Amino acid sequence: MNKSRHVLTSLVMVPLAALVAVPFYYIVVNTFKTHQETATSPLALPSGLRLDNYVEVFETLPVLQNLLNTVIVTAASVTTMLLIGAMGAFGMIIRSTRFNTWFGALMVLAFLVPFQATLLPLYRMLVTARLVDTLQGLVVLYATGAIFCYFLILGYMRTVPTEIIEAARLDGAGPLRIFWNVVMPLIRPILITVGVFQTMWVWNDFIIPNVFISSTGNRTLVLLVYSAVGQFSVNWPMFMTLTVIVLIPMVIFFVTMQRFIVSGLVAGGVKG
Amino acid sequence: MSQQAPAPLAVGDRVGPGEGTGTEPRARGRRWDRAAVADRLFLLPVGVVFVVLFLIPVIRSGWWSLTNYNGYTPDYDFVGLANYGRLFSDTAMVSGFVFTLLYTVATTLVVTCLAIPLAVVLNRKFIGRNFVRSAFFFPAIPSIAVLGLVWGFILSPLGSGVINRVIETFGGASVPWLSTPGLARFSVILVGVWSQVGWHAILYLAYLQAIPEELTEVAIIDGANGRQRFFHITLPMLAPAMTVSQLLLLTGGLKVYDLPVTLTGGGPGYSTFTLTQAIIQRGIAQSEFGQASALAVVFMLVIGLIVAAQLAVARRLERRIQ
Repeated sequence: MNKSRHVLTSLVMVPLAALVAVPFYYIVVNTFKTHQETATSPLALPSGLRLDNYVEVFETLPVLQNLLNTVIVTAASVTTMLLIGAMGAFGMIIRSTRFNTWFGALMVLAFLVPFQATLLPLYRMLVTARLVDTLQGLVVLYATGAIFCYFLILGYMRTVPTEIIEAARLDGAGPLRIFWNVVMPLIRPILITVGVFQTMWVWNDFIIPNVFISSTGNRTLVLLVYSAVGQFSVNWPMFMTLTVIVLIPMVIFFVTMQRFIVSGLVAGGVKG
Repeated sequence: MSQQAPAPLAVGDRVGPGEGTGTEPRARGRRWDRAAVADRLFLLPVGVVFVVLFLIPVIRSGWWSLTNYNGYTPDYDFVGLANYGRLFSDTAMVSGFVFTLLYTVATTLVVTCLAIPLAVVLNRKFIGRNFVRSAFFFPAIPSIAVLGLVWGFILSPLGSGVINRVIETFGGASVPWLSTPGLARFSVILVGVWSQVGWHAILYLAYLQAIPEELTEVAIIDGANGRQRFFHITLPMLAPAMTVSQLLLLTGGLKVYDLPVTLTGGGPGYSTFTLTQAIIQRGIAQSEFGQASALAVVFMLVIGLIVAAQLAVARRLERRIQ
């Protein structure tokens, strides 16, 4: 009886999952088709492995340039916010003064402020600093993610035994050395988990580039796809090809980092 | 910032008897305690982020909302609460408010009602389970903006619109998914649910797997049937997961921007216009910083209230269940 229930579950769930995945199937098959083929049979398998669309996308659009922009912005932003967050968390645990309690309470406030509420003043600020439409400007804005990093890292750092820090102090290590050589290696698991989350956020983000970037050369990949819709509104295979090219790096990143994400979901949840 | 009381309970001071022999006098030590200053410097970067990227912008938003600032001219007038009064007579803003709330409530309810049963099923053993898990989770990986654009093609009434093609082959009439207000709203919510349900199911699954097996075994021995076990064991044990999941859905829903912009562009008319879009359009595109700031302030207060209310309700529920 149990066995037949398993089969029944499979019979219901597998087609359902296939239905959920149809959009991805649709994108991928159409990248190998000509425009006419797509129009007549959008869901059929392609007649052959035509790679013309891929070649054409790379020829007509600055894909590599925009990929490089995205990599630079993501790497710089995530490194910055992890470093700021970890430093802040370390500053909080190394001393428990009244100042630190007060400081921690302020951070909670920042956590509650949505980006939308600060968007216009940040825009003015970037205009004044001449950072609108630059990659540096994006990194500055993504530094707001340091607060999230700070909270997750702080939760994890509290589990580090204080004896280790005390011992390092007794051995004559300065705070910088304790931070870099003792604490940072100990908190590596949380750095990876938070880093994965923030990488996915920055890489996939649309609102910040859409508001702050205007020139073609400074676009990120997501923005490239958005602007290409108009250009390819009648040539869907080309659009689908661009989409696949843009999705591949994130999928590879996700597959290699998968195990950190699920553990992070639980860790983040437990700490609320 | 650095002129603070001495650190009575600091980790660094609790080092035991060995240390107290050197520069002992505390009054002088306070000034010369370079370690204490160095320790506090670690808080500086995150403090700068807080002040520059949160505190100052929020204060400026609040101030601008009381003025007729246009974003450029340095001289502007204080107009009191006029901007707030006008919020409710502005079609774009009211529509943005209505659709944002509709989207938030609908996605939170539908995703929760689908993700919990899905998680329960994914927790069972069956052939193809890994494929099913991955397929449901996959939409959470790519940028939702890109997925919105792809769905724009899928739902299109033109040749690329697969759904309409399928309907037509079965003899139905083409459905204007994105060009009538009601259907456009439905489509945005549908894609929103599609992209999130698997992610939240995996979140619930992680909590389900933490339920001790003995609990279920004892219930079976006591003669509890499947439904009783679901309502009296599984659901209560999932209460903390529900708090997290719904908090994410509520705040994510209220902040929604990417999906409507890429799928419908906020249209037709203002039917899928969101609050975030309204802030950006009024502020940056139309230079009405005062008006847009008023909306941003209201937005922040609404989010704060909803989050606080949700946490309070969730805490009470969790307590009652346990």
